[in-house]
Amino acid sequence: MNRPPALGAKILMYAILVTMSLIALYPIWFAILASGRSGGRLYTLNLPGMFIPTEWTWENYQTLLNNTPFLTWLKNSLMVASLTSVFSVSLGTTGAFAFSRFKFRGREAGLILFLAIQAFPGILALVPIAQILSALGLYRSHWGLIMAYMAGQLVFATWMLKGYFDTIPIDLEESAMIDGCGPVQSFIHVALPLARPQLAVTALFGFMAGWGEFFLANILIPAPDAKKTVMVGMYQMAAEVNIPWGRFAAGAVMVIMPIVLIFLWLQRYLESGLTVGGVKG
Amino acid sequence: MVGWSGRRKTLTILMFIAPTLLGILVFSIYPLVLNTFISLTNRGKFRPNPDCSSPIWNIVEPTCWLGEPPKGLAEPYAFNDPILKNYTDLLGGLFTGAALVAVARLVLILLPLWIAWYVNRRLDRQLTRPVSSGLIWLAGLVGAVLLGWLINAPAAYSALLKSGDFIMVNVRTVLYVLVCMPLFFVTGLVLALILHNQNLRGVPFFRVVLIIPWAASTVAIMMTLIWQFFFRQQGTINQLIGSALNNYRPVTFLNSAGWAFAIVVLVNLWYTYGFFMVTLLGGLQSIPLDMYEAAEVDGANWWKQLTSITLPLLRPVAMPVIVLSSLTTYKIDAIVWALTQGGPIAGAGTPGATEFVMVHAYKQIFQTQAFGRMGAFAVILFIALFAATLYSLRLTQITKGATE
Repeated sequence: MNRPPALGAKILMYAILVTMSLIALYPIWFAILASGRSGGRLYTLNLPGMFIPTEWTWENYQTLLNNTPFLTWLKNSLMVASLTSVFSVSLGTTGAFAFSRFKFRGREAGLILFLAIQAFPGILALVPIAQILSALGLYRSHWGLIMAYMAGQLVFATWMLKGYFDTIPIDLEESAMIDGCGPVQSFIHVALPLARPQLAVTALFGFMAGWGEFFLANILIPAPDAKKTVMVGMYQMAAEVNIPWGRFAAGAVMVIMPIVLIFLWLQRYLESGLTVGGVKG
Repeated sequence: MVGWSGRRKTLTILMFIAPTLLGILVFSIYPLVLNTFISLTNRGKFRPNPDCSSPIWNIVEPTCWLGEPPKGLAEPYAFNDPILKNYTDLLGGLFTGAALVAVARLVLILLPLWIAWYVNRRLDRQLTRPVSSGLIWLAGLVGAVLLGWLINAPAAYSALLKSGDFIMVNVRTVLYVLVCMPLFFVTGLVLALILHNQNLRGVPFFRVVLIIPWAASTVAIMMTLIWQFFFRQQGTINQLIGSALNNYRPVTFLNSAGWAFAIVVLVNLWYTYGFFMVTLLGGLQSIPLDMYEAAEVDGANWWKQLTSITLPLLRPVAMPVIVLSSLTTYKIDAIVWALTQGGPIAGAGTPGATEFVMVHAYKQIFQTQAFGRMGAFAVILFIALFAATLYSLRLTQITKGATE
């Protein structure tokens, strides 16, 4: 396998790589092309226009930013996603530390409970959550949506942080203990600083989950327009009768690009987390 | 030394756990309890309100806690009679004669594969193998296909689909997962094998480009809305075929049941192969190179090396990936929603060709608003998914060390 491959094999391998790369990139490239096409047209009827930029205008971006609530949606999504991430990490860290460092009765039951909750998909919890929120008067409010996201994210964050604390050697805390640190000090001064990278990654996961979520947001904040998150707003833009496709594509580019770039930038850290996240789905 | 042991230890642990546990109780566990409670009642569109005068409702129902409970003209909802009515409504169809026979026929098809597995295990214990394992698996597969043809598997499958919507969507989703997994695995494996080749230039570049779809899966709903443009009447696919063929009549792919199913598989493949590729690549890198050198000295060709070294040694990595991905695929929602919304439907009131479990649940919550039945739906799936998760963890030992 580490022998230089034959020429034929090499050509075949490059052919596969190049084809797959083109397929991987085309949908995003298509969105960029469509976002620069004037008017409501999604397609040009000439084939080359589907692959290379035959025309370009900023018109769609301008209308989207000036004449639609797109920026408000973005702001809403940013708020909901970042608060979900901050709350889930800050509530989850202490518990994760305890589950990693202490042996106590009910510890295993607790961990299995975490798994059980992770197995429960968000959509299926919609009915009880909607009910609780309307009882609390939080239906149609961002706080309610954050609460709903917390249902899944808090457990996920705790599980991920526990896994990371497990990998930090306990020796450091033991030496802190000999120096007279109690658990609280050693948590604050030793474990927490060491866990900083994982805290950041977990927070980013919480953020991405809130940023891309559609179903709960669609039901829990059905109206008004100004309160919707960007996924719901854009989805509804795509469902209009006279769909302004170019505008939609412009929005899609602005929503998808940042998350893809962040992912690529931090891929090394995110990959390990996503394997854990596979349990959650 | 304060707080690490003794009486103070309990207090410390409590202090650490309290915020997390409280959060989980409020945000996760209470909705689960409430859901299970609702699943025992006839709550729905016409009976939405609780009866706050009764003590149980007062404890469980959040609407009874604060201020004036909502009152409507309709009667308040109540426990079902019999109490598990929602569950029997959903699962009842499975326990009729015809459905059980259909299940038995479908399970029978797996028999040759099981025999192949068993024979292989027996042969593994012998010093010299008379037949290679691949050949036995192939024989098992051929046997399964033949048996499926003999006992008319498609008929058994459609008989099973007729035994209720809940069973229909579940069986379809299982079929979907079974179609997806080999595709995901093979695509991921081929790319991982290519990227593992040290003599190839540009590997780091291709690795980054090829995981872009995986990155986009975090905004799957938006990305898939872009995808569905390609399959429209004037979309890229139709234009490409149209430019190659004369007199080509554009197909509206997403309106045909077979095409829609295939497209949901392909689009999901686009999102998922990156995950398989990256994890399998990690697995490949952990296989010691001298094994291949030894194999080459023995004159083993490329295929022989793949089947006797790479694949067996990749198993510990591949199994968790496949199991985890099966669970995620079973819960597919956004991709289907943006492509087909579960359609196309064959007739009014029946689930569409791509209406998988989560999509079905979402549509039901919207359309029929039979909250009690949806509660039962959630509980059944919860038990099944939890069991599958636990089993997969045992199988893959991903939490080895975590729960010890």
